[in-house]
Amino acid sequence: MRPIFLFASFLLTLQIARPVEAAPVNVVTTTEDLAAIAKEVGGERVEVESLAKGVQDPHFIEAKPSFMLKLSRADLFVQVGLELEQAWVGPLLLGGRNGKIQSGAPGFVDASRGITALEVPAEPIDRSAGDVHLQGNPHIWLDPMNGKQIARNIAEGLKRVDPKGAAEYDRNLADFSTRIDAALSRWQERMKPFEGAKVITYHNSWPYFLKRFGLVAAGYIEPKPGIPSSTSHMREVIALIPREQVKVILMEPYFSDQAPKFLAEKTGAKVVPLPPSVSASAGINDYFDLFDLLTNRLAEALR
Amino acid sequence: MLSFLFWPFIACLILTGIHTYLGLHVIRRGVIFVDLALAQMAALGATAALLFGRDLHDPAAYWASLGMTLIGAAFFSLSRSRDEKIPQEAIIGIVYVVSAAAAVIVLDRAPGGAEHIRGLLVGNILTVTPAQITKTAILYTAVGLFHWFFRKAFLLISFNPEEALRRGYRFRPWDFLFYAAFGVVVTSSVSLAGVLLVFAFLIVPALASLFLTDGIVPRLWIGWGFGTAASLLGLAASVTFDLPTGASIVCAFGLLLLLPILGRSLFRMIRPGIRATRPRGNPPKGEKA
Repeated sequence: MRPIFLFASFLLTLQIARPVEAAPVNVVTTTEDLAAIAKEVGGERVEVESLAKGVQDPHFIEAKPSFMLKLSRADLFVQVGLELEQAWVGPLLLGGRNGKIQSGAPGFVDASRGITALEVPAEPIDRSAGDVHLQGNPHIWLDPMNGKQIARNIAEGLKRVDPKGAAEYDRNLADFSTRIDAALSRWQERMKPFEGAKVITYHNSWPYFLKRFGLVAAGYIEPKPGIPSSTSHMREVIALIPREQVKVILMEPYFSDQAPKFLAEKTGAKVVPLPPSVSASAGINDYFDLFDLLTNRLAEALR
Repeated sequence: MLSFLFWPFIACLILTGIHTYLGLHVIRRGVIFVDLALAQMAALGATAALLFGRDLHDPAAYWASLGMTLIGAAFFSLSRSRDEKIPQEAIIGIVYVVSAAAAVIVLDRAPGGAEHIRGLLVGNILTVTPAQITKTAILYTAVGLFHWFFRKAFLLISFNPEEALRRGYRFRPWDFLFYAAFGVVVTSSVSLAGVLLVFAFLIVPALASLFLTDGIVPRLWIGWGFGTAASLLGLAASVTFDLPTGASIVCAFGLLLLLPILGRSLFRMIRPGIRATRPRGNPPKGEKA
């Protein structure tokens, strides 16, 4: 009896002697890219989960019960914003019934805050531009400089819900920004020979990336999401490729490659599948891997 | 976790309630896919509202979709023919594909909002709100009362058209009222739960009850029991294995339907020559629904 009792007290002293570790901050993001940046900023203090997988189109995600569960337990929720997740996030946030992370609460982060959106329609009231996103193009994470601003937004959110970690978050944020700056000059170096090159993209999801790396979108295969191109539009694109000396057609892996392949056959341009997100294909485990792969693959195709 | 499933389950109960009853009508009339056709007509209406620069959540879009639904109802009541060679089901299929194709053409011309059209046909039962459920319940109750009030005409024309003819009922106006009420129900249930789920609620419980029993009232009870059980099973599977909720409920409906089918086959094997239910075409008992 006595040894057991002694042993138990020994275990108890161990428990007491252990430094008190706060429970990690639960961060739930809509996409893997935000999750990757949140891990950089949060470091040891956070547990990060993404709802959408990198291989999925973030416009359309099918809600599952586990999403509700994750949201109900989250301390911080991060969305891209600019209407990207409009089709599915609203009802899920309400369904998760977690007051801490509702829009406007301290635990809610809109990653697009402070980022100058491209392609904002001139008159917000007018829906005639064929522009789906009234607040501008939402694919902001594809410019590393925006990645820095996203990290700043997440750090602010983390400081709101976990003030004790403020110093650590600031340190991580500064470190992340420095590494982005260093990597960016490397990526830009890689893309420099192809400055001004024209590309065709499937969906209009690359404007931030192209702008940062000095490329130009000459046209799009899918003028509107979900609507197959008309014959006349395809003819325009076929005429445009030789005229603008377009070498590559960029597409996300989740689109059908039927139209791009057809164009490639007709014109001799190359179809280049580009994963637009962290973990969208093997070997992209963090935000830096994503741009390494994108710039490598593009440089290869444009050579 | 279970608290998240409370409202989806209530939504399933409400959907089962009205769709089982309408499903009995739809199967007897042989217009199985009429819900898809009318839902697609409604989506076309909403799409047309986009063309005029309206938002999808604008009342104008709702009225446009209701208007298209009524046009569809009128068309189906007129296309009923006594000529056996022209099946109504063929006309329904044609309406479905043409309105789906027309929606694509309109969207090609319409300014933005294209991705929201998907939302009209792909509701998500997991994220229904109490407000949505209340609105839907009120609407279904109204339609249910309407059917109760005119039950004599509706039941006779659906289940025993020859007798209805003899008694001098005029089919066209009643058919129009039937399809209009049906369209109103389907349009709202599709935006709540999606096309797949609504079709399952409409056809599967009603069909299961046809295997097992006779007469409107017993069939309704069987259908309601079936729908409730299948909804519970689907919701449970969705949570246990983390599956998309709507799809998982549809599969549960399909799996549960195997039970009456197999049961009936067994029954026949054991007692050959005896039919589990009376042959179709006989007037149903218990017209007092």
